[in-house]
Amino acid sequence: MSLKNFSELFVNLDSNNSTNNKIEVLKNYFLSNDPKDNSWAIYLLTGKSNKRFISGRYLKNLFSQIYEYPEWLIDTCYLKVGDSAEVITLLLKNKSTSRKKKLSNISLNELLSKTIPDLSKLNEEEKNFKIKNMWETLPEDNHLIFNKILTGTFRIGVSIGLITKSISKLINIDEEIISHRLMGNFEPSIDSYEFLINKNINLKDLNSKPFPFLLANTIENKIFKHSINDFQFEWKYDGIRMQLIKRSGNVSLWTRGQELVNESFPELVAKMSHIKDDFVLDGELLVWNFKEQIAFDFSLLQKRINRKSPTKSIQLKYPIIFIAYDLLEINGRDIREIKLENRRIELEKYFSKWQNKTENNISDIFKICDLIFPKDWPDALTYKEKSRENNTEGLIIKKKTSIYSSGRKKGTWWKYKVDPMQLDAVLIYAKGGRGRRAGLYTDYSFALWKDQELIKFASAYSGLTNIEIKELDKWIRKNTIEKFGPVRSIKPEMVFEISFEKIQISKRHKSGIAVRFPRITKWRKDKKINDADSLENAYELMKKIS
Amino acid sequence: MRTKQEDLIRYKDGNLYCELADIWIDPSKPVKRALITHAHFDHFTFGCEEYLSTKETAMLLKERVGDNLNIKTFDYGEEFKINGINISFHPSGHILGSSQIRFIFAEEKWLISGDFKLQRDETCKEYEIVKTDYLISECTFGLPIFKWDESNKIANDISKWITNSPEKTSLLFCYSLGKAQRLLNEISQTNFKGNIYSHGSIHKMNNSYRKLGINIIDTIKIENKNKIDELKGSLILLPPSLSKGSYLKNFKNIQTAFASGWMSIRALRKRSGYDMGFPISDHADWDGILEVVKKSEAKNVFFHHGDSEALSKFLVEKESINVLFFGK
Repeated sequence: MSLKNFSELFVNLDSNNSTNNKIEVLKNYFLSNDPKDNSWAIYLLTGKSNKRFISGRYLKNLFSQIYEYPEWLIDTCYLKVGDSAEVITLLLKNKSTSRKKKLSNISLNELLSKTIPDLSKLNEEEKNFKIKNMWETLPEDNHLIFNKILTGTFRIGVSIGLITKSISKLINIDEEIISHRLMGNFEPSIDSYEFLINKNINLKDLNSKPFPFLLANTIENKIFKHSINDFQFEWKYDGIRMQLIKRSGNVSLWTRGQELVNESFPELVAKMSHIKDDFVLDGELLVWNFKEQIAFDFSLLQKRINRKSPTKSIQLKYPIIFIAYDLLEINGRDIREIKLENRRIELEKYFSKWQNKTENNISDIFKICDLIFPKDWPDALTYKEKSRENNTEGLIIKKKTSIYSSGRKKGTWWKYKVDPMQLDAVLIYAKGGRGRRAGLYTDYSFALWKDQELIKFASAYSGLTNIEIKELDKWIRKNTIEKFGPVRSIKPEMVFEISFEKIQISKRHKSGIAVRFPRITKWRKDKKINDADSLENAYELMKKIS
Repeated sequence: MRTKQEDLIRYKDGNLYCELADIWIDPSKPVKRALITHAHFDHFTFGCEEYLSTKETAMLLKERVGDNLNIKTFDYGEEFKINGINISFHPSGHILGSSQIRFIFAEEKWLISGDFKLQRDETCKEYEIVKTDYLISECTFGLPIFKWDESNKIANDISKWITNSPEKTSLLFCYSLGKAQRLLNEISQTNFKGNIYSHGSIHKMNNSYRKLGINIIDTIKIENKNKIDELKGSLILLPPSLSKGSYLKNFKNIQTAFASGWMSIRALRKRSGYDMGFPISDHADWDGILEVVKKSEAKNVFFHHGDSEALSKFLVEKESINVLFFGK
């Protein structure tokens, strides 16, 4: 199977086809390619790893060297294109005369398991020669894939959901099961692929994987018609959502973004290992103010997220806690299908057992979430409005009879966030500021997703600290796609939480909505652009309040 | 460098102007005398006392804006004199009737390229290499990332795009004049044998082309009474101005594409809002501009239309060509 098939798949998925169309295209790809290629395709499309073999800068220099191209010219092109791999791909079209007659028919598997990894074994001269040779022997429409994989910038707007759906259709097995199989690490191998398409539902290997997370929806008005007693109320913490798993004695910590973060939080892993039972807990990791028993700000947690093997002093300076919301599995028994109220009973039972029996004291790093008991809905509102006082974002409302399914299932969990309204948006334009901010890019425009397109929905100027402004300005200059007078279009990469007071329909804006007093409330460096909100979310927000 | 007073052609109020002949080239506001390179509206303005163009351009303009224009017409290569300056139109390969304009005064030659391309296009005359001392060239796609594929390859891609989604109505957006006719010509040579519809504005231009002796395949004029079912699997050509707004509500189950040189860049393709982009242009790509600069044997080159910074620097550094800039 040749790389060509994957290039074609890429073109298909990259164009704005309908979801159904894409699922069909993916399904057909899986049907007509061998398991090795399929596993690599899934690996790439789900963005499980984007290892950079050489930098974009290296690629540009190499091209400049081989074809005697001025570097400044490549840099100018880069400003227009915004991606080194694509710039080189486009420039290579101009060099098609140097293409060898015999074209390579390399497979995706061979390219990824051999050709590219082998580059690191070569010295610079050999490496350059090899890349040049690839450029000259690969068919033109495979260049983009090759260059992108080389530079670790293979990114495409395909959600895991789409892969899940296409595999589910392929083998006719429920999406939930496929989604579970796709959790955690995915090694590009025949085994991984066969595991994914196995028709047997109960697979042992699932043990190494976290469960698909259940996510909360924004509050809906209709919920207020129901009795308050139908729901369980919790504080909505602003930390990192995680599954804390102990199976066959081994503890693992999985983030919602499906990263294994044991190394960042060794003290938690160590403590939890002492518990005798096996379990899967759903909860939130926070930096905790033990004196006042409330969470510290998210910014303190950021000091811990990307730091592997933190020193003792870091651990003391930023003390963490895992707050468990839910118990999903106990001693090998999957209890996701039992009602929330019963799972809560189990959670409380085991928590008190662990607290009393464990030799080590776990209460300095682990607790279960406190429940709130509002008398009626107005009382719930009062609680919500108090949530700022304890550094939470509002309430999470869970239907007591709900089972733990996956994704943003309607009618199970709701988030009742403290005002203002917020959406996570992608920075797409920046404009130079005036007066004190002259010479810095301080006026920003933000976009939301509409299918695969980012549509501008708000401009905001305030909310960042001076240090953040400087940092962002520097980044903007490096990541400009195009300049239109004082305005620059920016590589969509940075996600910001935008808060605003009012949202309404507007015919004047392309997005169809207008927001009042938009401001930046958080630079979400922890989020990728695919995590940003969609216009649909904005419309729903609008529906809910009107 | 010469001062601007000495230049035969210079920039005045944002337009190209030859003072000695008191004649403007594609002016954007009414003047006494205007040379028109081709019939696109961004090169034409109402209210000039007299227009000068090729026969085809004159005819296309009249079809588009009405008969009451005072246009003097010339054949390609036919020289005429104004205030002692010899002026002539030469094919530029952009669209039917499009031209470069050459000025000769006191043995000094100036050439305005107009919008041009070198690529194959059976719906208009091929670009003619004209030797000159001074070249004023367009520079719409003046970066080496722009390298056009053969037009038949793009036409095949379009054909595949339509036939791969037989359940859908394929809307291809393109400029009504020139691009649409070129696409029709190319698509008629592919395997696509389904129905082709065109918007009224395109339909009209197809007829004009036919009147001027260019063979354009028949298309069905798209009208409100067209049944949605019969549009399934067919191709509909529409002008880009209809891509935003309520017009698309007339159709069901559509896929959209835009045919433009800018579609070669992924970021622009993504931002454009079309489902698909086909990079095909009636302007020259980087290599095309370089070829014209070289073959024209011009010692001095000016650029207008587009960002010419990189191209200018490249010509100066790599090709030792003198690139001049218009004074404001």
